[in-house]
Amino acid sequence: MDNEIVQFSALTVVLLLVIFYGGTFLISTRIGKKKENADDYMTAGNKIGFGISAASMTATWIWASSMYASATSGYTYGISGPIHYGLWGALMILFIYPFGKRIRKVAPRAHTLAEVMHARHGRSSQLMLAGSNIVGSVISLMSNFIAGGVLISMLSPFNFIQGVLAVASGVLLYTLWSGFRASVLTDFLQVVAMLGAVAIIVPVIFFAAGFPAAFETGASNLTPQQSNFFSSEAFLGQGAPYIAAVLAYAIGNQTIAQRLFAVREDLIKPTFITATVGYGAMVIGVGMLGVLALYLGFEPSGGDMNNLIPEMAASYLPGVLLALFFIMIIGALSSTADSDLAALSSIMMADVYGQNVAGKDKADPKKMLLIGRATMVVATALAVAFASMQLNILDLLVFVGALWGALVFPVLASFYWKKVTNKAFTVSVLVALAIFIPVRFELIPINGITGFLIELLAVIGIGVVLALMSFGFFGLRVAKIVGVVAILGSAPFAFGFLRDYTTLSASLVAYSVSTIVCYLMSFRSKMEFDFDVIAIRTGDFDVVEAQAETAEAGRDAQSLGGK
Amino acid sequence: MTAFFLSLYVLVWPAIVAGVLFFISRGFIQEWLEARRNGEDII
Repeated sequence: MDNEIVQFSALTVVLLLVIFYGGTFLISTRIGKKKENADDYMTAGNKIGFGISAASMTATWIWASSMYASATSGYTYGISGPIHYGLWGALMILFIYPFGKRIRKVAPRAHTLAEVMHARHGRSSQLMLAGSNIVGSVISLMSNFIAGGVLISMLSPFNFIQGVLAVASGVLLYTLWSGFRASVLTDFLQVVAMLGAVAIIVPVIFFAAGFPAAFETGASNLTPQQSNFFSSEAFLGQGAPYIAAVLAYAIGNQTIAQRLFAVREDLIKPTFITATVGYGAMVIGVGMLGVLALYLGFEPSGGDMNNLIPEMAASYLPGVLLALFFIMIIGALSSTADSDLAALSSIMMADVYGQNVAGKDKADPKKMLLIGRATMVVATALAVAFASMQLNILDLLVFVGALWGALVFPVLASFYWKKVTNKAFTVSVLVALAIFIPVRFELIPINGITGFLIELLAVIGIGVVLALMSFGFFGLRVAKIVGVVAILGSAPFAFGFLRDYTTLSASLVAYSVSTIVCYLMSFRSKMEFDFDVIAIRTGDFDVVEAQAETAEAGRDAQSLGGK
Repeated sequence: MTAFFLSLYVLVWPAIVAGVLFFISRGFIQEWLEARRNGEDII
């Protein structure tokens, strides 16, 4: 099928970008303060309401790549493909919310998860989390800038680099001054644009492309597996590796933790449930475009799957709705990019400067703000440079994902189990990584006794992942039962089979090894950690400013009462 | 799956998205009005 692409004129694209970034900038100026508070810059005073926090959690979890990947999954695996991308990603938001409640209870006024690890264990565990997030957020930033550059170059006369620069400067413009507060407030506008666009665009493309009749005429384009809603290929190729990866992402990533620390404590549950439904429906909905493309026999230019959604949109949408589509993608990538900037600045402010350079009690809030803003500028420049070079960062991304996978059990156990030590935390993560790398990159032969051992660890990993998910909701007893049943139930099918799926096996190995090592090094330890200490060791840096504001508010209230 | 159920399967997601959009927007507007009443920033 020939794809006739509609393109915008240079003026139209400039206008759309000015409207989008100008609008978000205008909103951010409404909340801008001449004298920002350092803690508010990182977590907005820990009291965000439901509307903003649910919108922000949804917007942050959705990035341009998630839409492209969901559609690719639909195009590759057929009708169940988008479910195996979107549903598992959505459920992970739901599964981590009980852990979120616990983390918030233990550290009500923290700014980063790494800061809490510093309070719980010490420097090495903190720096592992902080370091992995710095790398992860710069990669995410770069990836979103690339998506923006590709979209702008495809739909306008501007080239890729010009597109990257436009997106990068637009995001930096509205995030720089107010940090996290600007990030979450503009997320609301961006999520309205994204959700509104999906609600309109998917049905319009559906009818414009000749569906439902095309389901009959195009059925021959699908293989039996692609037509099967319960496709095992889709589960093993997309769903299963994604479950393992996304759990690690949800626990390890600072952009999620930051929203967890910012939302009002009693609103954590409704926020996470709404974000679960919003993310799932949105990403699966966009993924359906891949399914429709498959039925139509639509082929993206050059076989590049990143062209699939933009070309479907450009082929079937009228100009006005194509503009809406453009805003939807720009909104998706900008909301994640601004979250990455806010996450990076918080890590540099709280973890690097606040905890390790100046020390908690001596940190200067003004200097912290300067560091936060400088971090945003440097991170944007780095991401633009990496995006321009179009570096192959897949291996780095795999490494960060593995590090987060290895961190899941030690991090979660540290919030519930008094016996986990810093040594157990650090060693378990390093050993898990040391075993993950040769498995993932097939540096060792995965057959014979080695293959058996790797599959054994992977089977234990299945038990660990399912047990952790159950633990949050149902407690330790149910988690143990689920873990054992999962191991015994999957073992007969896994041996001799999982070795062919090294991506999945390696992720599971990272989970199981860190769990085993952390458990063995902790269960005999004499440590009886007092969790109340964490709330004291973490907390506000800008105390004087906060107290002054409270006093001022009190005076205002008094004078109003007097009237 | 028949064409009818496939159509339903594809179109149910935008419908859910519209529902979530309504829910989030309602929450935001309520908070915005409350902040205005109290003379505070929404964030």
